[in-house]
Amino acid sequence: MSQFAGIEVTAEVLSAACSGDSRAQEAIYRCYQRPVYSLIRRLIARPAIADELFQDTFIEILRSLRSYSGGGPFGGWVRAIAVNKCLMYLRSPWHRSFAYLDADENEPLADLLMDGASSPDAQVQASNDVERALATLPPLTRTVVWLHDVEGYTHGEIAQLMGRTASFSKSQLARAHQRLRELLDPQSESLPCTHLSTIC
Amino acid sequence: MHASIDHLLSLRDGQPVDAATAAHVEQCQRCSAELRKLRELQLKLQSLPPLDAPTSFTEIRRAMARPVAQPRRLVSPRLVAALAFVALTTIFFVALRDETAPRRMAEHDTQSAQPQEQPTDVVEQARVPELVAQSQRLEDLLQRLPERPRVERVSTAAMIDTIEDRIQWLDFQLSDAPDSGLSEEQTQRLWRERVELMDSLVKVRYAEGGVAF
Repeated sequence: MSQFAGIEVTAEVLSAACSGDSRAQEAIYRCYQRPVYSLIRRLIARPAIADELFQDTFIEILRSLRSYSGGGPFGGWVRAIAVNKCLMYLRSPWHRSFAYLDADENEPLADLLMDGASSPDAQVQASNDVERALATLPPLTRTVVWLHDVEGYTHGEIAQLMGRTASFSKSQLARAHQRLRELLDPQSESLPCTHLSTIC
Repeated sequence: MHASIDHLLSLRDGQPVDAATAAHVEQCQRCSAELRKLRELQLKLQSLPPLDAPTSFTEIRRAMARPVAQPRRLVSPRLVAALAFVALTTIFFVALRDETAPRRMAEHDTQSAQPQEQPTDVVEQARVPELVAQSQRLEDLLQRLPERPRVERVSTAAMIDTIEDRIQWLDFQLSDAPDSGLSEEQTQRLWRERVELMDSLVKVRYAEGGVAF
């Protein structure tokens, strides 16, 4: 379930934040810093870029509070800003250049995402494995799987955000799951049902 | 015939699937197990722990409060004209080079077929990572410049727009570079052109904003 769900900011806090009240703005920051940062880090593997995007996202949220119409949940509005920032970065030539440079590096992106953390705890280890596997996916595929499976976006919404078709989103999701299964459960690699084709 | 991963994902998400497939998955142990694994993986993704932001609210406030520099004075029209000339000349030569590009590329291909002959100009040029870094430095410099004045000369505005349009076109080409099969040399040329245009843009914007070199 999306980490944005269940967070509520009162109308009074929003109104005060709109009029520049620093404490109200800080309250909004405290409510949303973790879901926003978690979302960005799962979409953008490089911590330095994610940190920069996080700061840009919050600056935009606080500067454009007046444009929040109140039509939908405030968390959804905040999340949309964070997702757009990430997608803008992924579309930029800078991102492509980093991908080009990464090809020459020995350190895989999965390790960047984990910051080298390791834990003997089995549950934490399992989380780390999932996190590492996620980080090995191509950026757009990772974005699709995270937005769909965790944030609850529909294929139509993802297609609209990315300027692609719903079929693109579906195929990316299928590929992501196939790849994740191969990484997390290598023994099941040969099972016919994980294949994209309907013929097993 | 077992269900495909597309069908299983549709079933997992409660999307419509044809009745025969749904019935098969219900009865087939292998397909049921696959569906269960897909659900488990989704749960694992959803259960990943949240991450704490490294930036404090104070830093966000500080970044927000950073004053936007205003142009101090208007620079002399002669300097603007001189820089405009430089920028337009750059664009002209860049465009001219583009026109001859296919021929040069064909020549390069011919040379590639003969390993003993190496194109000398390629050796002298900066590599893509250097050009990317140079372009990014210019981009950062541009970001730090004062905002464009509300009122500006038509010629200056037109020139800036022309350069920006060209840069935008280059960005479009570069963002599709890995998929469109551009060679490293072609990518290198696009990046070099971007650096030259960014340099011109920075100079014009400097002049317009009245910032001393």
